[in-house]
Amino acid sequence: MNFQSISISDFIKVSDWLWEIPQSFRGDMRVPARIYASEALLEEIEPEAIEQVINVASLPGIVKYSLAMPDCHTGYGFVIGGVAATRYPDGVISPGGIGYDENCGVRLLLSEYSEKELRPYLDKLITEIQTEVPSGLGRGRQMKLSIGQVDKILEDGVPYLVENGYGEKEDIENCEERGRMEEADALCVSERAKNRGRDQVGTLGSGNHFCELQKVAEIFDEKVAQVFGLFKEQVVIMIHTGSRGLGHQNCTDYLRTIMQAMLKYKIQLPDRELACVPFNSPEGQRFFKAMSAACNYAWGNRHMISHYVRKAWKNALGEKGNLRLLYDVAHNIAKVEEHEVDGQKMELIVHRKGATRAFPPNHPDIPERYKATGQPVLIPGSMGTSSYVLVGTEKSKEAWYTVCHGAGRTMSRHAAARAVSGEAVVKNLQSRGIIVKCWSSRGIAEEAPMAYKDVDKVVEVVHQAGLSRKVVKLKPLAVIKGE
Amino acid sequence: MKKYKILENKANLKIQVFGRMKEELFKNALSGMASALRAETENEKAKAKRITIESVDLSALLVDFLSEALYLIQVHKEIYNEVRFIEFSDNELTAELNGQKVERFGEDIKAVTHHGLDIRENKKGIWEATILFDI
Repeated sequence: MNFQSISISDFIKVSDWLWEIPQSFRGDMRVPARIYASEALLEEIEPEAIEQVINVASLPGIVKYSLAMPDCHTGYGFVIGGVAATRYPDGVISPGGIGYDENCGVRLLLSEYSEKELRPYLDKLITEIQTEVPSGLGRGRQMKLSIGQVDKILEDGVPYLVENGYGEKEDIENCEERGRMEEADALCVSERAKNRGRDQVGTLGSGNHFCELQKVAEIFDEKVAQVFGLFKEQVVIMIHTGSRGLGHQNCTDYLRTIMQAMLKYKIQLPDRELACVPFNSPEGQRFFKAMSAACNYAWGNRHMISHYVRKAWKNALGEKGNLRLLYDVAHNIAKVEEHEVDGQKMELIVHRKGATRAFPPNHPDIPERYKATGQPVLIPGSMGTSSYVLVGTEKSKEAWYTVCHGAGRTMSRHAAARAVSGEAVVKNLQSRGIIVKCWSSRGIAEEAPMAYKDVDKVVEVVHQAGLSRKVVKLKPLAVIKGE
Repeated sequence: MKKYKILENKANLKIQVFGRMKEELFKNALSGMASALRAETENEKAKAKRITIESVDLSALLVDFLSEALYLIQVHKEIYNEVRFIEFSDNELTAELNGQKVERFGEDIKAVTHHGLDIRENKKGIWEATILFDI
C-alpha cells in the first residue's frame, strides 16, 4: 500500500489543538479532514492513519468533516479514534466506522470506601473478581445460554437482565441508551454470531480488555466530582470490554453482505474496508438493526460482569456497602442523533470508532442527575497508567459531541513482548503497589504501558480543545487483564 | 518454500502466506491462522466439517474462507490442520476440514480483515498474500 506522503506543512493549524487537511488536498474528498492533537502528538500519528482520515472524507453523504481524536491510530477502513457523521436518511452507514468489537466500551462502578480502608482486602478482592469473571480466550462461562435467551439480550439488553434479577434499576438509567437501543432486531443477527455469543455473556475477553480496581488520585473539578459521587482516594472499579465473539461475527457477516451490495449502489471507495451502503437501503437498515442488537449484547455483557463483580465484592468484604454505576459509555458505535449543522437542526448517522460520546449539560438523552453537569465520560488508560473521568461540554458540538477513547498503541504486540518480559512488567507494577492478575505473562508484556501513547497527553488535548473537561484522574490499584 | 511468516504489526496479527497454487495458498493461510491461535489440543479428533463459500472475488473468497474456519474453530473448540478442496475457483470453493479438539487457545482472533489484502503471483511464480487479523 502506498501512502501519499503528508507532512505538518500540509495541515492548516486551526488552533494549538486542531489541525485541518483541506478538501482540496485530494480529488475524492467531499469534506475537509480534521485531527484533534497537539503538534507533538500529530507528528506521532502514522501516515497510514492520516490517510484513513482522508479516505473517510470521501464517504457519500458525509457532513462537515472527517474527524480524528488525539489517540488515533490505523484501523480497518476507518481510523481508530475516528468520527464521521453522514446525512440522514440516505447518507451511508459503514461497519468499518464502528469496528469489529461493536460497542466496545467502559463503565465505572463506585464504592463507598477509600484506598486506606480497603488496602488490607485488595488482594482478596481481585482474586475473587478473577474467579467470578472469566477473562476469556475460550474461557467462557460454564453456563451456555439458549439462542432464545441470547435473542432476549440482543433485543432488550440491560432492562431484560434487571427484570430477571441481575443488577439494579439504577443500572438502566446510568447506561448510555439506557442499555438498550430500541432499533435492535435479533432476526437481523446471524445464527453464527449468536452461537459465538452463547457462552460469553459476563466475560472479559482478551487483548486490552480489563477489569481494574482504581482510586481517585486527583480532582480537577470539585463541583462535578461531587455530583458524580466521586471523592479523593475513593476506590472505584473500571470495566473495559465489548460484544465479544458475537459482535466480531456480526461485523464480519455485514462487511461481506455490504461489500456485495455496494455494487448496485455504484459506490466507489479508496479502501475496501470502508464498505458502506445508504442508511435507508434494505442492507443498511438490516445492518443498523443488527449492530444495535450487538450493542445491546455488549451492554448486557458489561452489566453481567458488574453483577459478578458485586458478587465478588460481597464474597470478599461481607455486606460492606454497594457498588453504584456512575455511567457506561460505548466507544465503537453508530447512532442516529439530532445535531445543529450551520444553524439548522438535522438528523445525522454518527459513526464513533474508538471515540466516546460526550453530551453537554441539559441534553435530553442523559440521566436526570447529570443534566446540570453534563454526561460523565470515561477514558481508560493502558495497563498500569491513569484513567480519567471527564464531563461533556457544549463546545464539543463541533465534534458531534465526541472525544477520544483511550491511549492508542505505538508499539506492536511482538515488539512489546520482545522489549520486555511479562514478569518484568508485573514486577514494575508491583513496585508501584499495583497488583496484577493475568493468566499469561505474554499477555501482560503485550499490554505494557510503553506500548501505548501517553494518556495524560491525549486527555490534555481534549480538555484544552474544550471537547470535554477533566473531572478526576484515576490510578490503578489492581488489574485483571482479559486473556 | 515457506508456508507462512508471522510479521510485525502494531495492534494486530499480520501473516504473509505463500503457495505454489491458489489452493495451496488458501491451505497455508489456514495453517498460519491456526498456528497463531496457539491451541492446546486434546487427543480427540474433530468431526470433519464441510464448507461452501461464494464470494465477489478471490480476495474476498480468502477472507470468507478463513472467517468461516474461524467461526467453526471458536464454536466447536477445534483446530483444523487438514483441508481438502472438493471445488475451487476464484469465486467459489467447497472444502472439507479435519483436525483436533482443543482444550484452550493461547490467542484470540476477533476477525479476519480485508486490510491491505492483495493476492498476487510473484516473479518466481509463487502465489503470496499478506493477511491482517484483528486480535
